[in-house]
Amino acid sequence: MIKTPLCDLLNIEFPILQGGMAWISDAQLAAAVSNAGGLGIISSMNADENWLRNEIHKAKSLTDKPFGVNVMLMNPHVDKIAQVLIDEQVPVVTTGAGNPGKFMKLWIEAGIKVIPVVPSTGLARFSERAGATAVIAEGGESGGHVGEMSTMPLIPQVCDAVSIPVIAAGGIGDGRGIAAALMLGAVGVQLGTRFLVAHETNIHENYKDKIIKAKDIDTTLSGRSLGHPVRSLKTTFSKDFIKAENDPTTPPEVLEEYGRGALRIAAQEGDSLKGCFMAGQIAGMIKKKQSVKEIILTLAEETETVLKGGTQWVK
Amino acid sequence: MVLEKVVEILRNYKDEQDLEVTMASTFEELELDSLDTVELVMEIEEAFDTSIEMDGELQTIGDVVTLIEKAIA
Ligand SMILES: Cc1cc2nc3c(=O)[nH]c(=O)nc-3n(C[C@H](O)[C@H](O)[C@H](O)COP(=O)(O)O)c2cc1C
Repeated sequence: MIKTPLCDLLNIEFPILQGGMAWISDAQLAAAVSNAGGLGIISSMNADENWLRNEIHKAKSLTDKPFGVNVMLMNPHVDKIAQVLIDEQVPVVTTGAGNPGKFMKLWIEAGIKVIPVVPSTGLARFSERAGATAVIAEGGESGGHVGEMSTMPLIPQVCDAVSIPVIAAGGIGDGRGIAAALMLGAVGVQLGTRFLVAHETNIHENYKDKIIKAKDIDTTLSGRSLGHPVRSLKTTFSKDFIKAENDPTTPPEVLEEYGRGALRIAAQEGDSLKGCFMAGQIAGMIKKKQSVKEIILTLAEETETVLKGGTQWVK
Repeated sequence: MVLEKVVEILRNYKDEQDLEVTMASTFEELELDSLDTVELVMEIEEAFDTSIEMDGELQTIGDVVTLIEKAIA
Protein backbone atom coordinates (compact mmCIF):
# COMPACT_ATOMS: atom_id res chain seq x y z
CA MET A 1 0.00 0.00 0.00
CA ILE A 2 1.28 3.46 -0.85
CA LYS A 3 0.12 5.89 1.83
CA THR A 4 1.33 9.44 2.19
CA PRO A 5 0.04 12.38 4.25
CA LEU A 6 -1.78 13.56 1.12
CA CYS A 7 -4.18 10.60 1.40
CA ASP A 8 -5.45 11.79 4.77
CA LEU A 9 -5.38 15.42 3.76
CA LEU A 10 -7.62 14.88 0.73
CA ASN A 11 -9.44 11.83 2.01
CA ILE A 12 -8.29 9.58 -0.84
CA GLU A 13 -6.86 6.07 -1.02
CA PHE A 14 -3.92 6.65 -3.40
CA PRO A 15 -1.90 9.90 -3.61
CA ILE A 16 -2.73 10.25 -7.30
CA LEU A 17 -4.56 13.23 -8.82
CA GLN A 18 -5.97 13.33 -12.33
CA GLY A 19 -5.10 16.80 -13.58
CA GLY A 20 -7.82 19.11 -14.86
CA MET A 21 -7.80 19.03 -18.66
CA ALA A 22 -9.86 21.56 -20.59
CA TRP A 23 -12.48 19.98 -22.89
CA ILE A 24 -11.45 16.55 -21.58
CA SER A 25 -11.81 15.98 -17.85
CA ASP A 26 -15.56 15.98 -17.27
CA ALA A 27 -17.71 14.50 -14.52
CA GLN A 28 -17.43 11.01 -16.00
CA LEU A 29 -13.62 10.89 -15.92
CA ALA A 30 -13.33 12.66 -12.56
CA ALA A 31 -15.86 10.34 -10.90
CA ALA A 32 -14.12 7.27 -12.33
CA VAL A 33 -10.77 8.42 -10.90
CA SER A 34 -12.30 9.18 -7.51
CA ASN A 35 -14.12 5.84 -7.48
CA ALA A 36 -10.80 4.12 -8.19
CA GLY A 37 -9.23 5.76 -5.13
CA GLY A 38 -7.49 8.78 -6.68
CA LEU A 39 -8.70 12.36 -6.86
CA GLY A 40 -10.61 13.14 -10.03
CA ILE A 41 -10.69 16.75 -11.17
CA ILE A 42 -13.30 18.36 -13.40
CA SER A 43 -11.96 21.09 -15.67
CA SER A 44 -14.11 24.21 -15.72
CA MET A 45 -11.98 25.87 -18.45
CA ASN A 46 -13.95 28.77 -19.99
CA ALA A 47 -17.34 27.30 -19.14
CA ASP A 48 -20.05 29.23 -17.33
CA GLU A 49 -21.53 28.55 -13.91
CA ASN A 50 -24.51 26.56 -15.19
CA TRP A 51 -22.34 24.11 -17.07
CA LEU A 52 -20.15 23.65 -14.01
CA ARG A 53 -23.04 23.21 -11.58
CA ASN A 54 -24.51 20.58 -13.86
CA GLU A 55 -21.18 18.76 -14.15
CA ILE A 56 -20.70 18.79 -10.37
CA HIS A 57 -24.19 17.32 -9.90
CA LYS A 58 -23.38 14.64 -12.44
CA ALA A 59 -20.15 13.75 -10.63
CA LYS A 60 -21.97 13.62 -7.29
CA SER A 61 -24.45 11.18 -8.81
CA LEU A 62 -21.58 8.96 -10.02
CA THR A 63 -19.42 8.91 -6.88
CA ASP A 64 -19.66 9.56 -3.17
CA LYS A 65 -15.89 10.06 -2.98
CA PRO A 66 -14.29 13.51 -3.00
CA PHE A 67 -13.39 15.11 -6.31
CA GLY A 68 -11.99 18.49 -7.31
CA VAL A 69 -12.53 21.25 -9.84
CA ASN A 70 -9.80 23.00 -11.84
CA VAL A 71 -10.41 26.72 -12.25
CA MET A 72 -8.85 28.75 -14.99
CA LEU A 73 -8.56 32.21 -13.52
CA MET A 74 -8.76 33.92 -16.90
CA ASN A 75 -12.26 32.47 -17.39
CA PRO A 76 -14.62 35.44 -17.96
CA HIS A 77 -17.20 33.70 -15.70
CA VAL A 78 -14.69 33.14 -12.90
CA ASP A 79 -16.58 35.14 -10.25
CA LYS A 80 -19.71 33.04 -10.65
CA ILE A 81 -17.68 29.84 -10.93
CA ALA A 82 -15.98 30.70 -7.62
CA GLN A 83 -19.40 30.96 -5.95
CA VAL A 84 -20.69 27.66 -7.41
CA LEU A 85 -17.71 25.88 -5.84
CA ILE A 86 -18.74 27.28 -2.46
CA ASP A 87 -22.45 26.53 -2.93
CA GLU A 88 -21.71 22.97 -3.99
CA GLN A 89 -19.08 22.48 -1.26
CA VAL A 90 -16.50 21.13 -3.65
CA PRO A 91 -13.72 19.84 -1.37
CA VAL A 92 -10.70 20.64 -3.56
CA VAL A 93 -9.98 23.40 -6.07
CA THR A 94 -6.87 23.50 -8.23
CA THR A 95 -6.01 26.70 -10.05
CA GLY A 96 -4.00 27.57 -13.12
CA ALA A 97 -3.42 30.51 -15.45
CA GLY A 98 -3.46 33.41 -13.04
CA ASN A 99 -3.39 34.51 -9.46
CA PRO A 100 -6.05 32.96 -7.18
CA GLY A 101 -5.43 35.67 -4.56
CA LYS A 102 -8.81 37.27 -5.07
CA PHE A 103 -10.74 34.07 -4.23
CA MET A 104 -8.36 32.46 -1.78
CA LYS A 105 -9.95 33.90 1.36
CA LEU A 106 -13.52 33.14 0.25
CA TRP A 107 -12.70 29.54 -0.60
CA ILE A 108 -10.65 28.88 2.50
CA GLU A 109 -13.42 30.30 4.71
CA ALA A 110 -15.84 27.96 2.96
CA GLY A 111 -13.60 25.02 3.88
CA ILE A 112 -12.35 24.41 0.36
CA LYS A 113 -8.78 23.14 0.01
CA VAL A 114 -7.02 25.29 -2.57
CA ILE A 115 -4.13 23.74 -4.48
CA PRO A 116 -2.53 26.04 -7.08
CA VAL A 117 -0.44 24.67 -9.93
CA VAL A 118 2.95 26.42 -9.77
CA PRO A 119 5.90 26.55 -12.18
CA SER A 120 8.47 28.10 -9.79
CA THR A 121 9.51 28.35 -6.14
CA GLY A 122 8.41 31.99 -6.02
CA LEU A 123 4.81 31.18 -6.90
CA ALA A 124 4.90 28.23 -4.51
CA ARG A 125 5.94 30.51 -1.65
CA PHE A 126 3.36 33.07 -2.69
CA SER A 127 0.64 30.40 -2.68
CA GLU A 128 1.68 29.10 0.72
CA ARG A 129 1.51 32.59 2.13
CA ALA A 130 -1.96 33.11 0.67
CA GLY A 131 -3.21 30.03 2.50
CA ALA A 132 -2.91 27.22 -0.05
CA THR A 133 -3.36 23.72 1.38
CA ALA A 134 -0.70 22.30 -0.94
CA VAL A 135 0.85 23.11 -4.30
CA ILE A 136 1.15 21.14 -7.51
CA ALA A 137 4.63 21.80 -8.92
CA GLU A 138 4.40 21.13 -12.64
CA GLY A 139 7.42 20.71 -14.91
CA GLY A 140 7.42 21.61 -18.59
CA GLU A 141 7.45 17.96 -19.67
CA SER A 142 3.71 17.99 -19.15
CA GLY A 143 1.01 18.31 -21.75
CA GLY A 144 -0.89 21.59 -22.11
CA HIS A 145 0.38 25.02 -21.05
CA VAL A 146 3.86 24.67 -19.66
CA GLY A 147 6.46 26.55 -17.64
CA GLU A 148 10.21 26.70 -18.23
CA MET A 149 11.40 24.43 -15.44
CA SER A 150 11.61 20.65 -15.72
CA THR A 151 10.13 18.37 -13.08
CA MET A 152 13.45 16.97 -11.82
CA PRO A 153 14.96 20.29 -10.68
CA LEU A 154 11.61 21.90 -9.83
CA ILE A 155 10.23 19.43 -7.28
CA PRO A 156 13.08 19.35 -4.74
CA GLN A 157 13.50 23.13 -4.93
CA VAL A 158 9.79 23.71 -4.33
CA CYS A 159 9.90 21.19 -1.47
CA ASP A 160 12.72 23.21 0.10
CA ALA A 161 10.92 26.52 -0.45
CA VAL A 162 7.60 25.70 1.25
CA SER A 163 6.42 23.70 4.24
CA ILE A 164 3.03 22.75 2.79
CA PRO A 165 2.71 19.42 0.91
CA VAL A 166 4.02 19.34 -2.66
CA ILE A 167 2.39 17.32 -5.43
CA ALA A 168 4.58 16.59 -8.46
CA ALA A 169 3.30 16.84 -12.04
CA GLY A 170 4.77 16.71 -15.51
CA GLY A 171 6.25 13.65 -17.14
CA ILE A 172 4.93 11.02 -14.75
CA GLY A 173 3.39 7.98 -16.40
CA ASP A 174 4.16 4.88 -14.34
CA GLY A 175 5.26 3.63 -10.91
CA ARG A 176 8.88 4.55 -11.58
CA GLY A 177 7.90 8.16 -12.11
CA ILE A 178 5.72 8.21 -9.00
CA ALA A 179 8.45 6.63 -6.88
CA ALA A 180 10.95 9.18 -8.21
CA ALA A 181 8.59 12.05 -7.38
CA LEU A 182 8.23 10.76 -3.82
CA MET A 183 12.02 10.50 -3.56
CA LEU A 184 12.31 14.13 -4.64
CA GLY A 185 10.15 15.10 -1.69
CA ALA A 186 6.64 15.18 -3.14
CA VAL A 187 3.81 13.49 -1.22
CA GLY A 188 1.67 12.86 -4.27
CA VAL A 189 1.48 13.16 -8.04
CA GLN A 190 -0.80 14.62 -10.68
CA LEU A 191 -1.05 12.92 -14.05
CA GLY A 192 -2.72 14.18 -17.20
CA THR A 193 -1.41 12.48 -20.33
CA ARG A 194 -1.75 8.93 -18.95
CA PHE A 195 -5.46 9.46 -18.35
CA LEU A 196 -6.08 10.63 -21.93
CA VAL A 197 -6.31 7.00 -23.07
CA ALA A 198 -8.65 5.81 -20.30
CA HIS A 199 -11.89 4.17 -21.45
CA GLU A 200 -13.82 6.68 -19.36
CA THR A 201 -12.20 9.67 -21.07
CA ASN A 202 -14.67 11.34 -23.41
CA ILE A 203 -12.50 12.29 -26.36
CA HIS A 204 -12.36 11.35 -30.01
CA GLU A 205 -10.80 7.92 -30.58
CA ASN A 206 -8.22 9.51 -32.93
CA TYR A 207 -6.82 11.43 -29.94
CA LYS A 208 -6.33 8.24 -27.94
CA ASP A 209 -4.82 6.45 -30.96
CA LYS A 210 -2.35 9.29 -31.49
CA ILE A 211 -1.20 9.04 -27.86
CA ILE A 212 -0.76 5.27 -28.17
CA LYS A 213 1.23 5.74 -31.38
CA ALA A 214 3.40 8.60 -30.09
CA LYS A 215 7.13 8.09 -29.52
CA ASP A 216 9.22 9.92 -26.93
CA ILE A 217 10.19 12.65 -29.43
CA ASP A 218 6.71 13.25 -30.79
CA THR A 219 5.69 16.30 -28.75
CA THR A 220 6.61 19.90 -29.47
CA LEU A 221 6.16 23.39 -28.01
CA SER A 222 4.19 26.06 -29.79
CA GLY A 223 2.97 29.48 -28.74
CA ARG A 224 6.26 30.59 -27.15
CA SER A 225 5.99 33.96 -28.91
CA LEU A 226 2.55 34.51 -27.37
CA GLY A 227 3.98 34.06 -23.90
CA HIS A 228 2.09 30.86 -23.15
CA PRO A 229 3.84 27.87 -24.69
CA VAL A 230 1.78 24.72 -25.17
CA ARG A 231 3.06 21.15 -25.42
CA SER A 232 1.21 19.01 -27.92
CA LEU A 233 1.77 16.16 -30.35
CA LYS A 234 3.50 17.03 -33.61
CA THR A 235 0.70 17.20 -36.16
CA THR A 236 0.00 19.16 -39.32
CA PHE A 237 -1.63 21.78 -37.11
CA SER A 238 1.34 22.17 -34.77
CA LYS A 239 3.81 22.31 -37.67
CA ASP A 240 1.73 24.95 -39.48
CA PHE A 241 1.33 26.91 -36.26
CA ILE A 242 5.06 26.91 -35.54
CA LYS A 243 5.77 27.96 -39.12
CA ALA A 244 3.35 30.88 -38.80
CA GLU A 245 4.81 31.75 -35.41
CA ASN A 246 8.37 31.86 -36.77
CA ASP A 247 7.28 34.12 -39.61
CA PRO A 248 7.79 37.66 -38.29
CA THR A 249 5.04 39.03 -40.54
CA THR A 250 2.33 37.00 -38.76
CA PRO A 251 0.49 39.31 -36.34
CA PRO A 252 0.06 37.85 -32.82
CA GLU A 253 -3.75 38.25 -33.07
CA VAL A 254 -3.76 35.91 -36.05
CA LEU A 255 -1.80 33.32 -34.07
CA GLU A 256 -4.14 33.65 -31.08
CA GLU A 257 -7.11 33.19 -33.36
CA TYR A 258 -5.44 30.23 -35.05
CA GLY A 259 -4.92 28.49 -31.71
CA ARG A 260 -8.30 29.29 -30.25
CA GLY A 261 -10.51 26.25 -29.96
CA ALA A 262 -7.82 23.95 -31.37
CA LEU A 263 -7.86 21.69 -28.29
CA ARG A 264 -11.64 21.42 -28.54
CA ILE A 265 -11.35 20.37 -32.18
CA ALA A 266 -8.76 17.71 -31.25
CA ALA A 267 -10.85 16.39 -28.36
CA GLN A 268 -14.24 16.36 -30.05
CA GLU A 269 -13.49 15.96 -33.76
CA GLY A 270 -10.09 14.28 -33.74
CA ASP A 271 -9.06 16.42 -36.72
CA SER A 272 -5.26 16.62 -37.00
CA LEU A 273 -5.35 19.42 -39.58
CA LYS A 274 -7.08 21.84 -37.23
CA GLY A 275 -6.79 20.24 -33.82
CA CYS A 276 -4.15 20.74 -31.15
CA PHE A 277 -3.56 17.37 -29.44
CA MET A 278 -2.05 18.48 -26.16
CA ALA A 279 0.08 15.76 -24.59
CA GLY A 280 3.17 15.42 -22.44
CA GLN A 281 6.55 13.89 -23.23
CA ILE A 282 5.55 10.73 -21.39
CA ALA A 283 3.04 9.94 -24.17
CA GLY A 284 5.72 7.75 -25.76
CA MET A 285 5.47 5.32 -22.84
CA ILE A 286 1.69 4.93 -22.99
CA LYS A 287 0.92 1.84 -25.00
CA LYS A 288 -2.58 0.71 -24.17
CA LYS A 289 -6.08 1.94 -23.50
CA GLN A 290 -7.26 0.87 -20.07
CA SER A 291 -9.99 1.59 -17.60
CA VAL A 292 -9.24 4.25 -14.99
CA LYS A 293 -9.33 1.59 -12.33
CA GLU A 294 -6.71 -0.52 -14.11
CA ILE A 295 -4.51 2.53 -14.56
CA ILE A 296 -4.64 3.54 -10.90
CA LEU A 297 -4.18 0.04 -9.52
CA THR A 298 -1.24 -0.59 -11.87
CA LEU A 299 0.35 2.72 -10.88
CA ALA A 300 -0.01 1.93 -7.18
CA GLU A 301 1.39 -1.59 -7.54
CA GLU A 302 4.34 -0.46 -9.64
CA THR A 303 5.18 2.31 -7.20
CA GLU A 304 5.24 -0.11 -4.33
CA THR A 305 7.54 -2.51 -6.19
CA VAL A 306 9.93 0.26 -7.20
CA LEU A 307 10.06 1.78 -3.73
CA LYS A 308 10.67 -1.60 -2.12
CA GLY A 309 13.54 -2.23 -4.54
CA GLY A 310 14.98 1.18 -3.80
CA THR A 311 17.33 -0.07 -1.14
CA GLN A 312 19.11 -2.50 -3.46
CA TRP A 313 21.96 -0.06 -4.05
CA VAL A 314 22.49 0.67 -0.39
CA LYS A 315 25.43 -1.48 0.62
CA MET B 1 12.17 56.46 0.72
CA VAL B 2 10.29 53.49 -0.66
CA LEU B 3 11.36 54.04 -4.25
CA GLU B 4 15.06 54.10 -3.36
CA LYS B 5 14.81 50.84 -1.47
CA VAL B 6 12.79 49.24 -4.27
CA VAL B 7 15.38 50.34 -6.82
CA GLU B 8 18.14 48.86 -4.70
CA ILE B 9 16.30 45.52 -4.45
CA LEU B 10 15.65 45.58 -8.17
CA ARG B 11 19.30 46.28 -8.99
CA ASN B 12 20.42 43.43 -6.77
CA TYR B 13 17.78 41.13 -8.23
CA LYS B 14 18.94 41.82 -11.76
CA ASP B 15 22.56 42.12 -10.68
CA GLU B 16 22.89 45.37 -12.64
CA GLN B 17 24.01 48.13 -10.35
CA ASP B 18 23.56 50.94 -12.85
CA LEU B 19 20.08 49.89 -13.98
CA GLU B 20 17.92 52.95 -14.74
CA VAL B 21 14.63 52.70 -12.86
CA THR B 22 11.86 55.27 -12.43
CA MET B 23 8.31 55.14 -11.12
CA ALA B 24 7.16 54.80 -14.73
CA SER B 25 9.42 51.84 -15.60
CA THR B 26 7.32 48.81 -16.49
CA PHE B 27 8.22 45.26 -15.54
CA GLU B 28 8.23 44.52 -19.23
CA GLU B 29 10.81 47.24 -20.00
CA LEU B 30 12.95 45.87 -17.20
CA GLU B 31 12.69 42.46 -18.86
CA LEU B 32 10.93 40.91 -15.89
CA ASP B 33 8.31 38.27 -16.66
CA SER B 34 5.39 37.34 -14.45
CA LEU B 35 7.45 34.83 -12.44
CA ASP B 36 10.15 37.43 -11.81
CA THR B 37 7.45 39.87 -10.72
CA VAL B 38 6.13 37.49 -8.07
CA GLU B 39 9.64 36.79 -6.84
CA LEU B 40 10.50 40.48 -6.70
CA VAL B 41 7.30 41.62 -5.05
CA MET B 42 7.88 39.04 -2.34
CA GLU B 43 11.44 40.27 -1.78
CA ILE B 44 10.17 43.82 -1.59
CA GLU B 45 7.45 42.83 0.87
CA GLU B 46 9.97 41.07 3.06
CA ALA B 47 12.25 44.11 3.02
CA PHE B 48 9.39 46.34 4.23
CA ASP B 49 7.98 43.68 6.52
CA THR B 50 4.54 44.10 5.00
CA SER B 51 2.40 42.55 2.31
CA ILE B 52 0.49 43.94 -0.61
CA GLU B 53 -2.36 42.58 -2.68
CA MET B 54 -1.11 41.15 -5.94
CA ASP B 55 -4.64 40.81 -7.31
CA GLY B 56 -4.68 43.82 -9.56
CA GLU B 57 -2.40 44.34 -12.48
CA LEU B 58 1.04 45.38 -11.36
CA GLN B 59 2.61 46.96 -14.41
CA THR B 60 5.03 49.60 -13.26
CA ILE B 61 7.48 50.02 -10.43
CA GLY B 62 5.29 52.95 -9.40
CA ASP B 63 2.35 50.55 -8.86
CA VAL B 64 4.42 48.57 -6.37
CA VAL B 65 5.81 51.64 -4.64
CA THR B 66 2.35 53.14 -4.21
CA LEU B 67 0.97 49.91 -2.70
CA ILE B 68 3.90 49.57 -0.33
CA GLU B 69 3.54 53.19 0.76
CA LYS B 70 -0.13 52.57 1.48
CA ALA B 71 0.61 49.34 3.35
CA ILE B 72 3.19 50.88 5.69
CA ALA B 73 1.45 54.25 6.16
C1 LIG C 1 -4.82 17.73 -22.92
C2 LIG C 1 -4.41 18.42 -21.68
C3 LIG C 1 -5.15 19.52 -21.24
C4 LIG C 1 -4.80 20.18 -20.06
N1 LIG C 1 -5.55 21.23 -19.62
C5 LIG C 1 -5.26 21.83 -18.44
C6 LIG C 1 -6.09 22.87 -17.93
O1 LIG C 1 -7.09 23.26 -18.54
N2 LIG C 1 -5.77 23.44 -16.74
C7 LIG C 1 -4.65 23.04 -16.03
O2 LIG C 1 -4.39 23.59 -14.94
N3 LIG C 1 -3.85 22.04 -16.49
C8 LIG C 1 -4.13 21.43 -17.66
N4 LIG C 1 -3.35 20.39 -18.10
C9 LIG C 1 -2.24 19.89 -17.24
C10 LIG C 1 -2.69 18.68 -16.42
O3 LIG C 1 -3.65 19.05 -15.46
C11 LIG C 1 -1.51 18.00 -15.70
O4 LIG C 1 -0.94 18.85 -14.72
C12 LIG C 1 -0.42 17.56 -16.65
O5 LIG C 1 -1.00 16.87 -17.73
C13 LIG C 1 0.59 16.67 -15.95
O6 LIG C 1 1.64 16.31 -16.81
P1 LIG C 1 1.60 14.98 -17.77
O7 LIG C 1 0.79 15.39 -18.95
O8 LIG C 1 3.04 14.78 -18.11
O9 LIG C 1 0.99 13.89 -16.97
C14 LIG C 1 -3.67 19.73 -19.30
C15 LIG C 1 -2.94 18.63 -19.76
C16 LIG C 1 -3.28 17.97 -20.92
C17 LIG C 1 -2.48 16.77 -21.36
